Formats: sequence, structure tokens, C-alpha cells
Amino acid sequence: MSERPKILIVDDEPDVLLTLRLILESEGFDPLLAADGETALRRVDDEHPDLVVLDIMMPVLDGWFVLAELGGRPTHPRVVVCSAKSGDTDRARAAELGADEYVTKPFEPDDLVDVIRAVLARHGAPV
Amino acid sequence: MDQLPVEISQRIRHEARVAGLHDHAPSIEMVERRRLQLWSIMIVVMISVGLAALTISGATGNVSWVTGQPLVLAGGVGVLAVAFCIYAVEKEVHLHRLSRLLVDERLLSNTMALQLQMNTALFNAGKALNSVMDLDDVLDAILANALELLGGVGGSVMLLEDQTILRVVAVRGEGIARDARVRLGESIVGRVAQSREPLLVSQEFAAADVGGALDANLELGGAMCVPLVNRGQLLGVLTVLAAKGAGFTDDDLSVLSLFAEPVAAATAKAGLYEAERANVAKLLESDRMKSQFVASVSHELRTPITSIRGAVAASRRTDLAAQREELLDVVDRQSGRLQAMVEEMLVAARMQENANRLTMQQIDLCALIRLTALDSNVAGRPVDVELPASCSVRAEPEALRRVLTNLIENAHKYGADPVRVAVQVSDDQVVLSVIDSGPGVAPEERERIFERFYRSDPNGTKPGMGLGLSIVRGLVESCGGSVWVEDAPGGGAAFRVALRTNFVLEPRREAAHV
Repeated sequence: MSERPKILIVDDEPDVLLTLRLILESEGFDPLLAADGETALRRVDDEHPDLVVLDIMMPVLDGWFVLAELGGRPTHPRVVVCSAKSGDTDRARAAELGADEYVTKPFEPDDLVDVIRAVLARHGAPV
Repeated sequence: MDQLPVEISQRIRHEARVAGLHDHAPSIEMVERRRLQLWSIMIVVMISVGLAALTISGATGNVSWVTGQPLVLAGGVGVLAVAFCIYAVEKEVHLHRLSRLLVDERLLSNTMALQLQMNTALFNAGKALNSVMDLDDVLDAILANALELLGGVGGSVMLLEDQTILRVVAVRGEGIARDARVRLGESIVGRVAQSREPLLVSQEFAAADVGGALDANLELGGAMCVPLVNRGQLLGVLTVLAAKGAGFTDDDLSVLSLFAEPVAAATAKAGLYEAERANVAKLLESDRMKSQFVASVSHELRTPITSIRGAVAASRRTDLAAQREELLDVVDRQSGRLQAMVEEMLVAARMQENANRLTMQQIDLCALIRLTALDSNVAGRPVDVELPASCSVRAEPEALRRVLTNLIENAHKYGADPVRVAVQVSDDQVVLSVIDSGPGVAPEERERIFERFYRSDPNGTKPGMGLGLSIVRGLVESCGGSVWVEDAPGGGAAFRVALRTNFVLEPRREAAHV
């Protein structure tokens, strides 16, 4: 793991991307951004982030597809799903597809940072 | 009516006693035997009297009848004979009355048995009517009862559809095909339905000569058709067929007419029930859509709140002081989005109450489109416009602007770029079109997408509350126009809004006057 962990933020809302980028930078992470599932998968391949903060409802390829795609790979970054979907079935589905944590929107940014730190500390490095 | 059988049996007992029959329940056969006895005795007595008279006259020779003893003897025999004759005649009178009473009683009990049978059949028909709610089952049960009572070989219930076609919905026995159709006024059933008069065919006939819903190979002994009418409205025709060699009478037709009443009632009731069931299904669907709406709304609210809270948290950090302006813009933008959503919900809620209170005026649609397109381009939803210089329509400007904005947003959300707005002007109306280059709208969804809370992708990735197009339809109709969606000539969906061009017509008020 590098000095500054790489965090890929995937969300189709530009303002969510902006605020999370600023906060994660300020917390000492190296944030990368993607506005849809396709870009997210490409950036995972190209830049090997340590963790992905993944929205579910997105155009082109949605979060479920990205999660399933990552789960099918021999090595992949840790995933924190971050969605406005708050149902138990959605949480269960995310866990089944290999997500490490599930955060429901809206959230306190500090809480998300704590979750990201905990996941990285628990696992140290990408699988 | 109930007194009649009692009176008859009392008189029967009385006559029987007087006539010398001591049985409690005398029969016609017993009366006949008694009469035979009486007449036999009468004949024996007459012969005896005759012989006695001959014997007396032979023994006395020419002795004067006036003075001789034999005269007394002969007189005695004569009186006896006369007395017996009177006795016999009286008995005969009573026996005759008794036999007539017995015949009456037999007829009466036969009629009552038939009446009972008919009542039972009608009762069963009524029971079927009340116990089964499925119309097919009710009609089948009633038809079965009618056939059993009337001894029909087959029958059918045909119901009126679209005011011109009779369709077989219940059938028993051979010779009539379910779902067969007959036009009103054609063949026997069609004519009965049209005239609303029951019809009896009392002679044998071949189905081929009659046509209609009957199997052409059928040879029949008769037929009866009765119209089904409920509250003055024609519902269909009840038909019963007799086998070759059998037949129907006028009484049978009266009985069948009695059956027509429960059939008509059942049909009318089932119609109401069907309508009620459809209504309940609609309410359930509306309830389901409202639940989905709450889910959609809560999701739609979460997204801007996430951005706002993120921006506020970030702007509190001293190391991000330089980005504060940018973060305030986020708060501004996202709170504006929340406000727009609240307004949209209010518009949808208010629309139902205030549909008639729009202030209609003559406005230039083209100018309004140009302004809205400009706003849309600024908001990142580019629109191409193809417009005449100007065109006047009658509408409420704010309503029309919202219609246009919602249609353009919808085209960007569910269709694809490029999005075009065009206007076609004809004599009395202007058609505004918003055309996208997306996949179009499936025919089965073309009406539903205008329903409140309906979402074409309930679990999909498109944001929204399912209100946009319902607001469009509500506002357009409030302006006296209409909106629909169709395939655009070059692919994609074309949402069309037809609006009136002049001041003269106001469809809602006009409808109220009619």
C-alpha cells in the first residue's frame, strides 16, 4: 500500500463526487473519480485503487454490475457501497456480491471516512 | 287459493258418505265400481218387478184390478220399485258429483305438483344467483334448471356485446357452440332480441333453415326464445330447444319467461360485480403506486441531501477554506433541486383541486418555447427548435412552460440526444412535439406513463418520482388540450401536445352546458 491510499469514488452526481473528493483529500487519501460503472471498471484496471466507494443507481452500468464484475476477478479492491437504497434486500445483495461495507445516503462524511479507514485497517491490502 | 284443496276434500268426504262409500280416500275406480253395483241391483230389481207383475196378471186371469187382492200385491210391488228407483237415482247423483270432484282433485294435485317443481327450479335458479358470483357459473346453473323443468334437449344464454352482437356465454346440450355470435335482428334469437318479445316455435324445424348459432345438422321439435331485460335494458336472449318428436306449448313459454328474470338479474348483478372488482384492482394498483412513490421520493430526497451535508462538512474544514465558494454553490444547487421537487409535488397535489382555475390567455407558443429551450440549454439539456415565427394558442403561460420543461426533461432522462421541439399549425389547433432519439415508448406503456406515480423502471437507475408526465397531462387537459406519445418517424418517442388556437372554445365549460 502506498503512502496515500487510492480511493475510487463512483457516483453519477457531480456534487457528491466533488464534496467527497475534497474531504478524502483533506483526510490524506488519494481520491480518483468515476461518474458511471464503465469508467469505474476502467479506472480500477488502470490505477488499481485500494478501495472503491460505489453508488448503485447509475446510468450505463449500475453499481450491481460493477460489484459483480469485481467479485469475479482474482484480485480486486475493497468495496464500500454507498447508496440511497436503504432496504435490507439491497444490503444483503451487496454483501452477497462481495461488498465490505454498506453506507446509506445521506451520511455524515466523517462517518464514511471512519468506515473507509476501518475497512482498510481490517484488510491491509486489496485481495 | 290454499282453501281450495281443503274444500274439495271436505266435499269429497261428504259426497262419499252420502253415496254410501265409507272409505277415507275414495278413488275414481271405487266410485265406478259403486255405480256398477247400483245399476246391477237396479236392473235385477226391475226384472224382478216385471216378473212379479207378469206372474200376478197370469194368476188372476181377467179378474178386475179394482176389486181383487192381487191388485194390492201389484200395487205394493210397484211402490217398492218406484222407491228403489228414487233411492238409486239419488245415489247416482251423488256418485256423479263425487266422480267429478275426484277428477277435479286429481287435476288440482297435478297442477300443484307442477307448480312445486317449477318453484323448486326457480328457487334453485335464485340460489345459484346468490351463491355464485362468477357469471358463467350462475348462467349455467339457471340454464340447467330451466332445461330440467321444461324437458329441453339443449339451450343457451346469449348476451349482448357492443349493442349489436349476441354472444353465446352459457350452453347446455348439443347443437349450440359456446362463443358463437349472432348479429342483432338476424336469425330467430337476433329478432327476439330486437323486438324484445318472447317467441315460441311449436313445429319441427331444421336448424339449417334458421341459421344463427345453431348447429346446421340439428333436427328439432321446437324452440323457445325469451329476451333478457333488466330495468328496461336489453341484456341478451335465453333459448331452450326441444328434441325432434317433443315440443313446447304456450305454458312452457310462460315458464321460460319466468326464468328470464333471474337470468337478467344475474347478468346485471355480475356486470356490477365485475365493475366493482375492476375498481378494487385499480385502487390496489393506485395504492401500490403510492407506496412506490414514497420510496421514489425518499430516494430522490436522499441524493441532494448527501451533497448538501458533504458540502457543509467540507466547508467547516480549515484546510478547505479556499474551496468554500465552490462548496456553497453545491449547497445552493442541491437545495434548489430539493425546492423544485417539493414544488413538483405541490403542483401535482394542487392540480386535482384547481384544474379549472387556470387563467387562460392567448399566448405566443413559439416565444415561450424559445425561452424554455434557452433555460434548458443552460441547465445542460440541449434542445433543437424548429419553429414558425410565431403561433398563438390559448393556455395558461406558467402551466405551458412547465409542460414544456417536463417534456424536455423527460426526453433527456428516458430518450437520448438530440432532442427536438417542433410546432405544427393547422386551422383550429397547434400541435407541439417534443421528439427524442431514444428507444421510444412500448405501445402497452403509452397510456400508463401519464398516470400519477407510474414509473417505467421502478427498480432502475433513472431518478424521478413518477410525477412529471402526470403533471403534463393534467396541465394540458386543464388548458383544454390533449397529450399523447407515439413513435417518431425516424425512431425515438414523439410526445405531442394539441392545443386550441382561439378564444372561442372552452371544452370543460362547454361540456357542463350539454
